Amino acid sequence: MTPIGLIFCIVGVPFLILLVYIMITGSTGLRRYIITRIGLTLPMVFIMGSMVFFIMHVLPGDPITSALGPKATPEIVENIRESLGLNEPLIVQYGVFLKNMITLDFGNSLVGGHRPIIDEMSERFPATLELVIPAAILALMIGIIGGTFAAAKRKTARDYSLRIYSVIIYSLPIFWFGLMLQLLFGVVLGWFPISGRIDPVIGTTLEHVTNIYSIDAFISRNWLALYSVIRHLVLPTLTLGLILSGVFLRMTRINVIETLQTDYIAAARARGIREHAVVYQHALKNAMIPVITLIGLQVAILLAGAVLTETIFSWPGMGSYLVLRISARDYNAVQSVITMFALLVAFISLAVDIIYSLLDPRVKY
Amino acid sequence: MRRTRKKERLKSVFVEDKMYKKSMYTIMGLLVIVSMLLTACGAKETAVETPLATEAPAATEPPAGPVSIIIGVTDQIASLDPADAYSTHDWELIRNTGRTLLRWNPGTSDLVPDMATGMPEISEDGLTYTFTLKDDIKFGDGLALTAPMFAEQLTRLLTIGPSCPNDVADALAIPYVESITAPDDTTIVFQLKAAIAYFPQLVATAPYTPAHPDTFLTSECVLFPSAPVYGVGTWFISQFTQNEQIVLEPNTFYTGDLTPQVDQIIIRYFSDPQTLALAVQNGEVDIAWRFLGPQLITELESTEGLTVGTVNGGAIRFLVFNHDMPPMDDPNVLKAIASVIDRDAISDSVYSGTVSPLYSQNPPGFLGATEVFDTMYQSPNIDGAKAFLADSGYNETNKCVLDLWYPPEHYGAETSAWMEIIKQQLEATGVFTVNLTAQEWSTYVPALTGGNAYQGGVLGWFFDYPDASNYFDPFVYNGGMGTDVALAAEGSTFGEAINEKAQQLLDLLSAADVETDLAAREALYEQAGEVYADLVVTLPLFFQAEHVTYRSNINGSSAFGSPETLNIGGNVEFTYSMLTKEP
Repeated sequence: MTPIGLIFCIVGVPFLILLVYIMITGSTGLRRYIITRIGLTLPMVFIMGSMVFFIMHVLPGDPITSALGPKATPEIVENIRESLGLNEPLIVQYGVFLKNMITLDFGNSLVGGHRPIIDEMSERFPATLELVIPAAILALMIGIIGGTFAAAKRKTARDYSLRIYSVIIYSLPIFWFGLMLQLLFGVVLGWFPISGRIDPVIGTTLEHVTNIYSIDAFISRNWLALYSVIRHLVLPTLTLGLILSGVFLRMTRINVIETLQTDYIAAARARGIREHAVVYQHALKNAMIPVITLIGLQVAILLAGAVLTETIFSWPGMGSYLVLRISARDYNAVQSVITMFALLVAFISLAVDIIYSLLDPRVKY
Repeated sequence: MRRTRKKERLKSVFVEDKMYKKSMYTIMGLLVIVSMLLTACGAKETAVETPLATEAPAATEPPAGPVSIIIGVTDQIASLDPADAYSTHDWELIRNTGRTLLRWNPGTSDLVPDMATGMPEISEDGLTYTFTLKDDIKFGDGLALTAPMFAEQLTRLLTIGPSCPNDVADALAIPYVESITAPDDTTIVFQLKAAIAYFPQLVATAPYTPAHPDTFLTSECVLFPSAPVYGVGTWFISQFTQNEQIVLEPNTFYTGDLTPQVDQIIIRYFSDPQTLALAVQNGEVDIAWRFLGPQLITELESTEGLTVGTVNGGAIRFLVFNHDMPPMDDPNVLKAIASVIDRDAISDSVYSGTVSPLYSQNPPGFLGATEVFDTMYQSPNIDGAKAFLADSGYNETNKCVLDLWYPPEHYGAETSAWMEIIKQQLEATGVFTVNLTAQEWSTYVPALTGGNAYQGGVLGWFFDYPDASNYFDPFVYNGGMGTDVALAAEGSTFGEAINEKAQQLLDLLSAADVETDLAAREALYEQAGEVYADLVVTLPLFFQAEHVTYRSNINGSSAFGSPETLNIGGNVEFTYSMLTKEP
């Protein structure tokens, strides 16, 4: 089984089980909602894929000439174009693309070694997951804890400081912020590595199973590798996580403030419940509901941020792959990555909506 | 009473709450600090990491391990199949894991026998090259290389090569080689289609490397074989993680004179040159190789603990003119352009002096290279340019309009800056009006080299084999990459004088192609260079050096040439077995 298949099994199968469970035990309204959402997701991915297909083909540039340069004779260029089906009419190419999209057969890359794109994504997708998951956790932790704290200390210096932090951090260009972290913690202080996923020498001792190195290191009990992976994760995670934490912080703060002004909070305070418990146990739970919706929406931004973060830190994930292949006009690869991203965002949004309905009993579908 | 008790209880709750919070914050703060310290300043993560590799204080003495040298590049692997690979980086890997009959000695352009016992025997007609193979050549897994096996692998280049994606065969084998045979276990015979004097250079290139018959099957191209990948060279590929790194270890069966000095070479792939520059600064890589831009190189040159070696490689930039399209069909216009361009201004203001002005189509170090364009036109020579233009009737009121094209990104973001300088220099004569247009690379290349769309444009060139013919022939023969000079020889559009010169150029280059006497060949290229400059077939602008940046504990071999650039010579061959690493 390929690493990407394994990851699908780890993440996708439980999700499917959850879906089946909800379909069996959930209310009719919820069932109808899920079916509608899935029904809407498929055309959305189709429209997205089609748009990318036509945009990539309309843009000037040809992957074969681009890759071969002036040394290739027109005959060689023509032969390669023909072998890759690029001489076919656009509508025929579109048909092939749709068929491939339905069967999740992404075809071969048009540049370099013309490798199967599924192989290239198998190698890179786990790297992206390894980056975005801790970054999302960091963003949520800072956002939720900081936002709640700011709300609890409303109109104090600590509140203002956190609000300023959230505005500044969210408005920083990610490539600049990443570079500053690299310079400070990598070059000046020498605390953390600035590139790659693992120390190259230790990397030779790591057995690749899922291609998520932290998991691979853990299951093979290669603690040195695990330590190296964590060290390599620090700066990219900080870059992506801190940038995203700003929006979560502001959203959480506003929601907690609103919740703290409700009657049941006043009643809780009147009953003498500790302020800490009022804020963190009573107010935060209810304030979290809109924040969960925001998490779903932020997945797309997280992936977009990963594109830049991966490039800055030479992190061999889907983002850096996308950048590389856009410049090479590799239609197949770009279409595949964007389709993959679209599917991911769509299903995470769906998952968030389902969780939303489970968390908030007031929500009826 | 009860109210007072409740009040006190509430008070105590709040006091407890405050204390609880304080203690929680203290614990959390301590945990964060401790974890940061442990992560950042703890024991180094690897036993084999170099002492320079991190500036973090080492808490423990690392135990002994293999000595590894890490080389960072921004290149990518496109193919590891010798019958297919056609990029500098792929060739570098193939050459370090393989051997050829002849090779360039590290750090020099001297061609010497490697797998062959001596230089080839050449038949009278120059069509048959016979090599004798040494009898102790073995692949990394112990398999002995015989001449029939080698001939079969090279025949594979001719048979399946053209169907492979990168198709090196159509560039460096099919046009030249008729057949490859092995009459016995140690003799290899190349039968050529036409006599060429530079065939020894060709057989020293990566496509002529024997590939392992069990890995590289005769029936198909194997671009990314699974590790281990064994060749007959100094190293074998022990691990290969796509997009991340490739690990080379010494071939224990290697019997040549380039024995590896370290236990591992790790090539790490970077997506961003800036990150590569930072990585060599903080010791994550020992050597930063291709490519760092001129700005990064300038920064690294002033960084303590790093050495930047400049390799005067063969990457050149020049203007291509379509001699079949007005106003470039007027020799006076071309000569005027050649008289105006100030190459030093481009080098200094755009590249901070990291590129060198180029005054001949073949760069310094190549056979017959002279500064003929400088001698002939003494640029910048505005008066000379005006005189040429006046002869063709151009002046301040009747300006010569030029349309020049360039790709904005392919040769670096600096291209638009130096094209703007060229425009300014030409327009400073008061007789030229220049229209500059940027065009996306894949549209640009066929338009320029096709020879029927652009008057002129920028092109870059890097040799396939280090010989002057590889700098002249492509721009003269056939369409000449859009110069259409060969048309002149046929007398299609040019005047009689130009036709004669173009024919003279073709004759000189044809003679040089087959001349085996080095001195005579050099003289032919010198003469060809003069005619080339007179016709201004192309206008050489500058050549771009390659830069290798390495840490202070890395050394090349003083037994071979150019140790200051880690024995990378003008042919940009990086021989990893030259490298040593001080503890």
